[in-house]
Amino acid sequence: MVEKFHEELEVVRKKVIKMGHLSKEMLEKSVKALKDIDLELAKEVEKKKVRLADMDNEIEAETLRIITLYQPMAKDMREIACILKLITYLTRIGRYGKDIAKIVPEFEKRGHVKKLVSIPYMSDLVCGMLDDALDVFEKGDLTKFNDFVDREDNVDELRYGIYRECLTYMMEDPKVIKRCTQYIIIARYLERCADHTCKMAEKIIYKISGDRVEIDCREKTSKSCFTGAPEE
Amino acid sequence: MSISGNIIQTENLDLWYDDKQALFNVNLKIRPNMVTALIGPSGCGKSTLIRCFNRMNDVINGCKITGRVLYNGKDMYGEKVDPVEIRKSIGMVFQKPNPFPKSIFENIAYGPRVQGINNKKKLDKIVERSLRDAALWDEVKDRLNDSAMGLSGGQQQRLCIARSLAIEPEIILMDEPCSALDPIATAKIEDLIGKLKKDYTVIIVTHNMQQAARVSDFTAYMYLGKMIEFGETTQIFESPREELTEKYITGRFG
Repeated sequence: MVEKFHEELEVVRKKVIKMGHLSKEMLEKSVKALKDIDLELAKEVEKKKVRLADMDNEIEAETLRIITLYQPMAKDMREIACILKLITYLTRIGRYGKDIAKIVPEFEKRGHVKKLVSIPYMSDLVCGMLDDALDVFEKGDLTKFNDFVDREDNVDELRYGIYRECLTYMMEDPKVIKRCTQYIIIARYLERCADHTCKMAEKIIYKISGDRVEIDCREKTSKSCFTGAPEE
Repeated sequence: MSISGNIIQTENLDLWYDDKQALFNVNLKIRPNMVTALIGPSGCGKSTLIRCFNRMNDVINGCKITGRVLYNGKDMYGEKVDPVEIRKSIGMVFQKPNPFPKSIFENIAYGPRVQGINNKKKLDKIVERSLRDAALWDEVKDRLNDSAMGLSGGQQQRLCIARSLAIEPEIILMDEPCSALDPIATAKIEDLIGKLKKDYTVIIVTHNMQQAARVSDFTAYMYLGKMIEFGETTQIFESPREELTEKYITGRFG
């Protein structure tokens, strides 16, 4: 029975990673669709939301089934708890991708206000964080989270930069207001995604070490601060 | 209560059955009014340990103990200590319910009678209080003179708990009290344990990990006669410090 339990947990674990790749793909492709104003690609991303929701439901049902059948303890229980949280964050991230994809048609007529640089860069940063989080979830190397605060900070700064930049464009020319507002909203979405990857990291740290920590210590909650994992 | 705040404390406890050592340097502190669970695979010494707490090992030939077991700060195995006195304040409940082949009333009244209480009114009171504390009163109050052997397994076990409560012990030792019971009777005993800790200290040996997690405040994990880990139950089951504990409670061995 123990072996069967671990086999089943392994199946769910693989599904979580698959779902993670789907979320990342949705975000990545939505920004690519935006950059190239590729309506077809945007449609494709939008359609993936169904698969994303299905995976969320499937994984949730499977973890709940595992809990009822095996009543896992210690690190197995922590992994189950982690998975239940991860799939929520992954759903949010994937759906932000869908939201960005939905905005793409707005640029069809007039094109971009200027060449899109900061938003794709932000998306790269977020996708990199997401990749690392999934990798740690799979392989357990916590040192990959050591620079997460910095990386999230950079994403925050970029969002603020985009906001300031857009403000000046809008003051110069009211015709860009509609598009610039969209840029601000998209930058906000991407910033939220980075935040979600930090929350994922916290749950993954809990799964691996049992510690309940805060990645961003400015939050000042009752949890202790993640001071980094020791390098090998 | 002892000065240290522990009702029972073992110090470097070793135990041999003839030349086979069963306990190795066990240091454990039991807090009053708490439920402490002893877990571990078969043969790890948890039953042996719990039997040290009311000197039940005394009756086993070839059993030898070194180290100390303090009960309220006093050495339980000291020269002048009478084991019968110890067992008056430390009751025990076993795996299989073992009521006396007497009436329900007489099962409970037996202990107090031995202690010299013969007043019918007093005995009535003791029997009612014990049965109420053991959550059995409502089920048997109209048939106290029926044979205890006619009760269901779960009722018999609660009767045994009531019997141990009749002499007003400080500590109740339970050696797998639910392993012969069905899930409903088990749930009743578990609820009961939660209520008992208000007035008593409970030490329970169990093979059921979920049960240990549900009923206890502290958990000790034992393996091959050694105390591997002791701590708050939530910590032991959420993030054990020792790899051996982790492996056992996640079912990877044992």
